[in-house]
Amino acid sequence: MATLSAWQERLEATALAPVSRTGARFWALVGVEVAVLGWGLYAYSVQLRDGLVVTGMRDRISWGLYIATFVFFIGISHAGTLISAILRVSQARWRTPVTRIAEFITVVALICGASFVIIDLGRPDRVLFVFAYGRWQSPIIWDVLAITTYLTGSIVYLFVPMIPDLALFRDRLTGRTSRWRAWLYRTLAIGWNGNVAQRRSLIAAIGMLMILIIPIAVSVHTVVSWIFAMTLRVPWNSALFGAFFVAGAIFSGIAILIIVMAILRRVYRLHEYVTAKQFIYLGYLLAAFAAIMIYANISELLIHGYKLEEGAGFHLRQLFLAEFAPLFWFYLIGGLIAPIVIVLLPATRTVAGVVVASILVTVAMWIERYVIVVSGLRVPLMPYESADYAPTWVEWSIFAGGLALFALLITLFTKVFPIIAVWEVAEDHNAAVTSPAPTYAAVLDIAADSAGGSS
Amino acid sequence: MKATMRHTIRAALALLAVGTITVVLTAPALASHVVVRTAFPTSGTVGEIVPLAVDVRTPEGAPLPGTTVTYYLHMSFAGVGGEAQIGRAVTDQNGVATIGYQPRAAGLHELRMEYLPPGATAAEQVMGAFDVTGGPQLVRPSGGVDIPGINSGLLMAVLGTVWLILLSVAFRLVAIARAGGATGPASGDALR
Amino acid sequence: MEEKKGQDVPGLPDVGLSRRRVLLSLVAPGMDRPPAQSGEGQGGEGLPAEAATPEAPPRALGGKIGRRRLLRMVGLGALAIAPMPILPELIRSAVAQPAEPPRGRRDPARTRDGRIRQWTMIIDLRSCDGCQGVGGPPRCTTACVEGHLAPEPMEWIQVFEEELPGGGTRFVPTPCMQCQNPPCNNVCPVGATFSTPEGTVLIDQDRCIGCRICMAACPYDRRFFNWGEPPTPPQARLADYSPEHQVPARKGTVMKCDFCPDMARAGTLPYCVQGCPNQAIYYGDLEEDVATNGRVVVAASRFLAENDAFQLKDELGTEPRVYYIPGHGEAVGRDAFSRGRAPTEWPWTEVSEGSVTWQR
Repeated sequence: MATLSAWQERLEATALAPVSRTGARFWALVGVEVAVLGWGLYAYSVQLRDGLVVTGMRDRISWGLYIATFVFFIGISHAGTLISAILRVSQARWRTPVTRIAEFITVVALICGASFVIIDLGRPDRVLFVFAYGRWQSPIIWDVLAITTYLTGSIVYLFVPMIPDLALFRDRLTGRTSRWRAWLYRTLAIGWNGNVAQRRSLIAAIGMLMILIIPIAVSVHTVVSWIFAMTLRVPWNSALFGAFFVAGAIFSGIAILIIVMAILRRVYRLHEYVTAKQFIYLGYLLAAFAAIMIYANISELLIHGYKLEEGAGFHLRQLFLAEFAPLFWFYLIGGLIAPIVIVLLPATRTVAGVVVASILVTVAMWIERYVIVVSGLRVPLMPYESADYAPTWVEWSIFAGGLALFALLITLFTKVFPIIAVWEVAEDHNAAVTSPAPTYAAVLDIAADSAGGSS
Repeated sequence: MKATMRHTIRAALALLAVGTITVVLTAPALASHVVVRTAFPTSGTVGEIVPLAVDVRTPEGAPLPGTTVTYYLHMSFAGVGGEAQIGRAVTDQNGVATIGYQPRAAGLHELRMEYLPPGATAAEQVMGAFDVTGGPQLVRPSGGVDIPGINSGLLMAVLGTVWLILLSVAFRLVAIARAGGATGPASGDALR
Repeated sequence: MEEKKGQDVPGLPDVGLSRRRVLLSLVAPGMDRPPAQSGEGQGGEGLPAEAATPEAPPRALGGKIGRRRLLRMVGLGALAIAPMPILPELIRSAVAQPAEPPRGRRDPARTRDGRIRQWTMIIDLRSCDGCQGVGGPPRCTTACVEGHLAPEPMEWIQVFEEELPGGGTRFVPTPCMQCQNPPCNNVCPVGATFSTPEGTVLIDQDRCIGCRICMAACPYDRRFFNWGEPPTPPQARLADYSPEHQVPARKGTVMKCDFCPDMARAGTLPYCVQGCPNQAIYYGDLEEDVATNGRVVVAASRFLAENDAFQLKDELGTEPRVYYIPGHGEAVGRDAFSRGRAPTEWPWTEVSEGSVTWQR
C-alpha cells in the first residue's frame, strides 16, 4: 500500500503541475495564439464591413473554406465521443489517461466549428432568426438542433467525470493558489467528498451520458453531411454520405487527439500515464478507420464513376486528373494509405510514427472536406463555363484565427483544469494491481508496450 | 387524374343529354351551300367538360360528314385579347362535329368555329357562345408524401427524450451536491 | 376582361407591419434566453457567483449549503430549459403548416370567380435567337435588369447557349423555374424563401440570413447572392421594398427572378415578356389556362401539348412552372450553327455610394 500511495502522490503531482507552475514559454505560446486570433478577428472585421465579397466565393461556388473548416471542426469533435464514450462503454482501460483531453477537444472543436458557420453567413446580424423562424424541414435547423444538443451534452460529459478531480484540486491547492482559482474549484467540485452516495450518483450520471453521447455524436455528423446530400448536386447525391461523414469525423478526431496528446505529453511530462500503448492503440484505430474510409471512397466514387451520369464525368475528371488532382491524390495516398502502412509496419509503429500519420490524416481530412465542398459546387448545372474558387487572404486569415482559437482554448484549459482523469487512472491502476487477470486485453497491452518501447 | 376521369364521365353523360338540355342556336352560314348550326349548352361550370357540337348539313338537310371544324375561343389576359384555338373535330356521318371543352374561366365564352365546306375555297365560320359559372380551384401545387408519424412531432419527441436524459443527469449532479452537503464541509481524500 | 380584384397599391403598411412582427417575434418566444444558454450550458459554472458571496446568512452550515444547493438547482434547471427557445418555434411550425404567411405579400391574385391565379411562363425557343437578330445583349435580360434594378452580375433571366445533339446551339432564356417542389424552399432554415399561393417562389430579403444553402440546392443556378454592397443605381435605395420586386437589393442576401407577381396582379406583363423583340416569352395563368406573349393569346394547355413542350431537368422532380417549346430560333430565321450572343450590360452609369461589383 505504501507504494500505491506513493504512486498516487506522483500522479496527483503530475496532474497538478501544469496548474502550479507556469513558465515564460507558456505565455509566449499564448501570445502567439492570441496574435493569430487577433489577426483573424481583424480579417473578420474586414469581412463584416465589406461583405463576403472579400472572399473568393461567388454565386457558382457559394461555399468554400469556411464550410469546409466547419465540417472539419465538427469532424474532429468526434475525438471525445469515440475515446470517451465508445471506449468507456466497451470498458477499454487504456483510454483513461486520454479521455479528459479527448472530451475537451470535443467541446473546443464544436465551439470553433459552430463559429465558422456564423462566419460564413451573409447576415451574421440575423443569426438569431434561426431560433425565431426556424423551420424544422431545413437541414441547417437539424444542424442547429444537433450541434447545440451535442455541445451541451459534451460540456456536461466533460464536466461530470471531472468533478472528483476538481475536488482534488480544491483540496490540494487550498491556500496555494489565487482566490479565483480556489473559488472556481470549490464551486465546480459541487461539494464532492467521495462518499458512497456521491460515487453512486456520479457513476450513474456517467453511465447515462456515455450511452447518450454516442447517438448524439453520430447524428451530428450525419446531419452535417445532409446539408450537402439533401441538395440536387450529383457529387453529393449519395445515400452513403451520412455514414461516410461519420467515419471521416471519427478518423480525423482520432488523428487530432493523437497530436494533442503528443504535445501535452511532452510539455507536461505525462510519459508515465500517456504511454506508447495509448499511441499504438489509437494508431490501430486510426488504421482501422483509414480502411473504412478507403472502403467508403471506393463505394462512393465507383458508383458515380461506373454509371457516369450527367456531371459525374466532369466530377471524376476534376478530382483525379484536373483541378483537384494534387489535393485529392494527397488525400488518397497520404491520408488514407500512408497511415495504414505506417501503423502496420513494425519499424514505424512508434509514437513518432503514429504522430506523423496523424498529422498526415489531419491535413488530408481537412483537404477532403475542402474538396467535397468545392468540387461538389464546381460541377456546372447549366451550360456555363465551370467557375473557379481560390480562398482570399481574408479566408485564410480567419481560418488561421480559427485554428488559433482552437489551440488557445486547449492551452488555457490545461492551465486551469486537470488534464488527466486522476481518479479514473488511479482506479484502473488499483484494479490492475489488485487483480492482474491475464486477459486478452492485457496481453495486447504487453504487446503494445514492447512495440512502443522501441521508440 | 381522378378529377379528369370524373370530368370525362360527366362529359359523356352530358353528351347523352345533349338533345334535351341544349338550346339550338341557329346561325345562318355565310355561304349558302351549307347550313351550319351550333348545339351548345346554355351554361357550364369551370372545370367541367361541356360538349360543343356543330352540325353541318347541305341546304337540303343531308348531313355533311368529313368536314373539319376548328374551334376558337376569345380569351384575354393581361390586357391582351384574342382568339385561341381550343380544339378541332371532324363531322361524323350525321354531320356533327363535337369537342368536349373544359372551361377554365368564369363568364361568357364567345366562340368562333371555322370550317371549309366541300367545294368552297375559303374557310367559313359560325359563332357561338355559352356562359360559365365559377368553380373550385383547379391547379394546386402537389404536396409531398405524407407518412403518418414521420413528422416534426417525432423529431421533437426524440429531441425531448435526449434533453430529458440530460436533465436527469442534472438531477444526479444535484444529488451529488446534496450528498456532499449532508456530510459537512468537504475534506479528506477526494478519491476515497 | 382582366381581373383586378386582388390588386393593391404597392403598399407601405404591409412592409411596416412585417418589420414590427420580426421584432416582436424576436422578443416573444423567450428570445432573451439564448445568450444565457451558452453560459448555463456549461454545467452551471456561471451561477455560483452569488453562492460564493461571503454575506451568507450566519446560520448553521446546513443553511448555507441549502442556499447554494438551491442556486445550483436553479442553474441546472436553466441548463435543462436551454433548448426551449427552439422548441416553441418547432411546435409552432409543426402546428401551423404551412409556416406563417410570408411577409409583405398581399392577397394572391384571383380570377373573377375567386380562384387563385397560378402564374406560368412558356418560352418558345423557336422564336429565340439570343437577340442575334437585333444585335446587342438579350433584350429580356436587359429589360429585367432595368426593371428590377438588378445588381451587376445578376441575370435573373439568363440566356444560356446550349449545345444541340449533332452540333449547333440553341438559346435558352432561363428565369427562375418557380418549382412546385422547390428544393430551395425545402432547405431554407428561416423560411426566407417561400412558395406563394400563386405557385411562385419568392425571397424575403429582410429575413434571409445569407447561409446560401438555397444556392447549393437550386439545380438551375438561378440564385444570386449580394456578395457586397449591391451595385444598383442610387434611386433603388428610395424604393419601397417588397419580396415581390426586391428593390432595393440588400447586402448579404440571396436574390432571384420573382416572376413579377405585383405586375401580373396589376395586369401588366413581366419585364422580360415586354422586352422580347420576338415575342418568344408567354406569361399566363394555368388556373384559367391562358397565356400571352403580348401579341397573341393562347390556351396554355393546348399550346403546350400541341408544341411538345418540355421542362428543364424535369427528371429531378422539381415540377417547374416554366415550360419550353423546343426550337433554336428557326421561326425568326436563326441558323442553328450561328453561335454566340452579346454579353449582358448593366446600363446605369452611376451606382449608389459604397457599392462594389463582382464577377458571377
